[in-house]
Amino acid sequence: MKLKDFQDSFQRAILDGDDTILSDIPDGPRETKTNLLGIYRDAYVLRLIDVIGNDHEMLRRYLGEAQFEDMARAYIASCPSNHPNARWFAHRLPEFLRATAPYSGRPVLAELAALERALNDAFDSADAPILRMADLAAIPAQAWGKLCFVRHPGAIRLDTHTNAGAIWVALKAEEEPPPWATADDATRLLVWRNGSTSMFRELTAEEAMMWDEAVKGLCFGDLCEMLAIYDDPPNAPARAAGYLKTWLDVGTLSELVLRR
Amino acid sequence: MSNRRNRNTTTAPGTQPAAADEARRPPYLGFGLGLRPKHYRDILDSNPQVDWFEVISENYMIDGGQPLAFLDQIAERYPVVMHGVSLSIASTAAFDEDYLDRLNALAKRVNPKWISDHLCWTGVHGVNLHDLLPFPYTREALDHVVSRVHYVQERIGRQLCLENVSTYVQFGQSEMTEWEFISELTRRTGCWLLFDVNNVYVSAFNHGYDARAFLNGIPADRVIQFHLAGHSDMTNYVVDTHDHPVRDEVWDLYEAALERFGPVSTMIERDDDIPPLANMLDELAHARDLAQKMLGPKVLSRSPPPASAA
Repeated sequence: MKLKDFQDSFQRAILDGDDTILSDIPDGPRETKTNLLGIYRDAYVLRLIDVIGNDHEMLRRYLGEAQFEDMARAYIASCPSNHPNARWFAHRLPEFLRATAPYSGRPVLAELAALERALNDAFDSADAPILRMADLAAIPAQAWGKLCFVRHPGAIRLDTHTNAGAIWVALKAEEEPPPWATADDATRLLVWRNGSTSMFRELTAEEAMMWDEAVKGLCFGDLCEMLAIYDDPPNAPARAAGYLKTWLDVGTLSELVLRR
Repeated sequence: MSNRRNRNTTTAPGTQPAAADEARRPPYLGFGLGLRPKHYRDILDSNPQVDWFEVISENYMIDGGQPLAFLDQIAERYPVVMHGVSLSIASTAAFDEDYLDRLNALAKRVNPKWISDHLCWTGVHGVNLHDLLPFPYTREALDHVVSRVHYVQERIGRQLCLENVSTYVQFGQSEMTEWEFISELTRRTGCWLLFDVNNVYVSAFNHGYDARAFLNGIPADRVIQFHLAGHSDMTNYVVDTHDHPVRDEVWDLYEAALERFGPVSTMIERDDDIPPLANMLDELAHARDLAQKMLGPKVLSRSPPPASAA
């Protein structure tokens, strides 16, 4: 058997339970070849369950060990790893849970997974400077309208349509999570890295709108005008400045661009 | 496989390295540990008596954040060696060029004393099984792996170091022993060897051969690193779990390895049920004591050891 055919056969033995490769494996001195091959089959699944569990601690806690393991086995069977780094093995978990019964019937699961994915992504996102309030001090007042902002790579926005965020908070505090529920209006979350910890908070609809447009490159003047159209025009610049100050305080922006 | 067990393998195959190759031999580093996130803070706070750290390359092939920040700080204080798990040197799938680019970028960042991975494959058809998988030791496989090692060595601009893995199955189509395969591989490519003492014990137990046949069967002058680790005893077989302290039978084999290979940079791997750093330091002190008992005070120096007799 050519090496290529051997590897194809051995991989099928692990992924699909195909026993063809056993014809080329002798029994061990103390153990049957089936059990010896089983070491690889078991290790494959157990290792990846562990990877998913490490990346999704709150989802694991929420589901409980038995349900979590069933879910993880289904994911492993459906989405074999395609990356040399196991760090990204669970990256497709939110989409899997959203699309696959019975998990799709509880959309909070996909959203918990998506929140944990964003927290993980923030944790080891690219390093970049953190823009602070002091960096804006040198900007003359008349230039503020043309100020644009660059998102820190660790700042990630996501919307949920369940109370996944509240459930995550309760689980993290080792408290009884509230019953899951869906809502018509989205809950808007901003995830970011604070030193060595990933965090998230809920944004109002207005702040989320301003953030989403700001990181697309809209200048501060245009953002103020957008907020004025949204609500209470006279106070829009003050509200915009307030949101900006919060972002600078927590470190979700990395760069300032002065548009001419 | 019993015929192989009885084959005379006490004379190491391979060739004497050229003087130029000996000059490229990485330095002797002494006694190290695998760097694990659980110990980052302790290491930086206490500057423990560890001669060097081995880092899992893939754990740092990320864009940024705390893991890389800790790695940078530790690499400033200690010599570092990069140890990968996903090179998949024996795979028949094409190399993942992005992986090799990231490996090079990490090497540029931490300036490792050497770069190692495993003599195994991890998947084909775009799948990674995240395991160190065995393959038959055939002449075809040898030619294939030789060409891949040459390619990687070109790509990373240095000699690769390859580790023997623990195996649980053997294959009827194998045409040579593992140690014959390894010897021929290093002879034809100039790659260095990472002799994992625990893996030799595990494979020898599982396949019923004498671990010392393996030990005596590979060229001593190519071994630049030892791994020590704990395994799980399942009665009929043993599994390389890295979740226990090093067991007595592996310490015994380590002594035999010291006798044959002389002072070789040694480290202890622990990947599960990781104890506090102090426990790892105690275990490392035991390795150092054994080596000192066997070889004298020269093992305490980081200077290059004299060339060991093959």
